[in-house]
Amino acid sequence: MKPILSSFLQMLKSVKRDRMLVAACVAPLLVGIAIKYAIPFMEEILIAQTNRREILRPYYGLFDIFFSMITSAMFCFAAAMVLLEEHDDHIESYCSITPLGKTGYLISRIFLPAFAAFLMTGILLPIFHLTPLPPAMTFFFSLTGNLQGVIIALLVVTLSTNKLEGMAVTKIASVTILGALVPYFLPEPLQYTLAFLPSFWVGKSVCDQKLIYMLPAILETAIWILILLKRFRRKMP
Amino acid sequence: MRLRNLFLLDMRFQAKYGFYFLYVALTVIYVVILLALPQSWREKAAAILIFSDPASMGLFFMGAIVLLEKSQHTPCAFAVSPVRAGEYMLAKIASLSAISLVVAALLALTAGIAHLHMVLFGTMLSSVLFTLLGMMVATKIVSLNQFILWTVPIEILAFIPAILHLWGISPAVLKNYPANLCMDMISGASVSFLGLFCTVILIGVLFMAVRKCVIKMWQEAGGIKL
Repeated sequence: MKPILSSFLQMLKSVKRDRMLVAACVAPLLVGIAIKYAIPFMEEILIAQTNRREILRPYYGLFDIFFSMITSAMFCFAAAMVLLEEHDDHIESYCSITPLGKTGYLISRIFLPAFAAFLMTGILLPIFHLTPLPPAMTFFFSLTGNLQGVIIALLVVTLSTNKLEGMAVTKIASVTILGALVPYFLPEPLQYTLAFLPSFWVGKSVCDQKLIYMLPAILETAIWILILLKRFRRKMP
Repeated sequence: MRLRNLFLLDMRFQAKYGFYFLYVALTVIYVVILLALPQSWREKAAAILIFSDPASMGLFFMGAIVLLEKSQHTPCAFAVSPVRAGEYMLAKIASLSAISLVVAALLALTAGIAHLHMVLFGTMLSSVLFTLLGMMVATKIVSLNQFILWTVPIEILAFIPAILHLWGISPAVLKNYPANLCMDMISGASVSFLGLFCTVILIGVLFMAVRKCVIKMWQEAGGIKL
């Protein structure tokens, strides 16, 4: 455990030096304030302009889903960028032959940041949510949102061999969170074509108001993470 | 001739690192998203997608491009070659804009935005602006996290006013703000001559500033001042 913590603290120092740590902590607060106050304000303006009864309100649940993913996305994205830099500098090869090992390296670089983001989301989501959120829903939002961040980080480090490819993969990996939009905009059964995305089930759970859909979301996330972990471990020297 | 070779080199570089594959995949995803949206939403959604992705790809990727070049010691080679900083910049701007224009055209056609020429001109201006801004930041940084952090204020200043402007939530005084003007053009609307003039002047000033940054980066290539 000590090597893992020490490796995690070393990464924190590197991220802190780039001021990314402060940004990763402050950004969710700013996004939360924007969602809580700017979105309802925009809704009022849009209603006044268009004379419609509601425009954004039916999608408030989606804003909550994206907010639950933002902290993890920030933390895991910063960690993925460190991993890419370390890959280019061959640091991961050295780490894997130290007491840290491959598993410890992965835990310190991806899972500990995700766990920190999980705690932070659990605190911030009850403050900045737009729709009524019972504690169970807050828990599942935090959990699935953070596991989504882990998937994005693993996709980036697994599918890319350098910084530039990493940025390209980041772009396409971020699209996986758009699965949450699908139940809102695509009719059944067409929407199930994107059911392989865990975010689809999170969106469906909110759209249909059924907590049970969190189960396939967690199961699919676990499958995605296991496959990506297997590929990443094979890629590591 | 040098400019043409640099342009082709950049295109080969982008192909090697999967830019074309990435944008084929992203275009397919964006087209599917646009087709899934209600008809009345498509034009605005397409304008936001074009402005925030293909048009601003230079801002997103420039950090990684320059950092990768630094790690491969390419600036050292440029520093001692006859290539000029302006040519290096023009090749990057042209090669990234080429991708932006193709993707923007496909998205605009899918959404049925009128005045395609205006959309393409707006995309071109936005792409040049964002690539120059990205290049300016990229010459100053040493890590990807630093780059991402330094581009956040640019993104806030460019994207938020432009998206609000698209929805009509913007004061009249900001009509000629370059980001808003580009968004107007991308959504197929006509723009004022004054706004266009200001944007071109801004591009000119940025080009000169970035040229100085690139020369400085080359002079410091390899950790020493040449």
